[in-house]
Amino acid sequence: MTIYTKTGDRGKTTLFSGERVTKDHNRIRACGDLDELNAAIGVLIASLDPADGQTGDQLMRIQSDLLHAGAWLAATPGSASRQRLAPITEVSCRTVESFIDAMAAELPELKAFVLPGGLMRAAWAHMARTVCRRVERAVVHLADLQDPPGSGRDDLLPVIAFLNRLSDYLFVLARHLNQKAGVADLIWQP
Amino acid sequence: MTSYTIEVIGHRWLTDRTFEIRFQRPAGFDFLPGQKIGFVGGAVSRDYTPLGPAGGPELAFCVRHIPRGRFSTRLAGARPGDRFQVTPPFGYFTFQNTSRPAMCVATGTGIAPFVAFARAGVRGFDLLHGVRSAGELYYSRELSGAARRYVPCVSGEAPPTREWPLAFAGHVGGWLAERLPPGAYDFYLCGRGDMIREVVGIIDDRFEGSLVFTETFF
Repeated sequence: MTIYTKTGDRGKTTLFSGERVTKDHNRIRACGDLDELNAAIGVLIASLDPADGQTGDQLMRIQSDLLHAGAWLAATPGSASRQRLAPITEVSCRTVESFIDAMAAELPELKAFVLPGGLMRAAWAHMARTVCRRVERAVVHLADLQDPPGSGRDDLLPVIAFLNRLSDYLFVLARHLNQKAGVADLIWQP
Repeated sequence: MTSYTIEVIGHRWLTDRTFEIRFQRPAGFDFLPGQKIGFVGGAVSRDYTPLGPAGGPELAFCVRHIPRGRFSTRLAGARPGDRFQVTPPFGYFTFQNTSRPAMCVATGTGIAPFVAFARAGVRGFDLLHGVRSAGELYYSRELSGAARRYVPCVSGEAPPTREWPLAFAGHVGGWLAERLPPGAYDFYLCGRGDMIREVVGIIDDRFEGSLVFTETFF
């Protein structure tokens, strides 16, 4: 079995909604950043310790939600394809918030900046967080510039909110993973 | 993932290499015309597109028998009452019904989703069916009644122009490059990767502003 179709060999690709666009199109850039985020989370999952409990399941659920979000990014506003997608609901956002709340309840209050690092898996959580912020910027850019006003921006607001919350989750997760292993926050000393 | 058990009702050979196999449709097993179904549960899994109609009592598939192919050989030898495990329907290769003219392009058994479209009542589309010989023009009568234009593209022998006046001698890509006026269309492509690649290249060159939906055989 081969997975290559070669239809992108001339620098163009096909959106989920059917348009042929160049591979540096804003929508493709956002999808690529999202894919990178999902891959970074995959590395984070692979680096988890069995003692990290439900974290792997949480992250895999998030990966699935990111694929769903990717379908929305890959379809133009108003297209028949976008109308057929399952709506992005607030459920994903609320779920991530519940994960954050559970971890934050066991963490000491933070009153200073921390340096990204510590355990390898915590460092990967920070890495994924920074990629998540880049995805967020790409999606906001798409919503502001690419989508005609009133014809699609609102569709992406749940995605933007989810990414914002996911960044928070990954930050808290990094601290949580370090703390569980007895590694203190790396407080920035200016 | 949920799976369903489906039971063979029967099959018939359409050519010496291609057959149609029919199953009882399980209760609650609904699909959109053009979606596919995965046959699972064994050492080999394969996806096929049901021919439709979507709400009918049967699930029928058009299958190319690959010599020494493990799964198509198993299906070819299946008897009434044999059971298979399948996934729920999935995929997005479904008719979009926009204002642009729809140009459907199939090669071989890639005709299956377009049969499903026709059986769902889709009308007014143009349909190219690329085959090597006229004997492989499966479902041609049915499809010619549903399509605005039904164009057999026969590459391995003289086209059957007596029966099909629009028949074209050559590949589907040749017809698109030579006969289709420039413009924006909704292209639906189903077939092997080499056809998809060739046609997408032609679309990029000649039909800017078109939408492209593909279902590729691997």
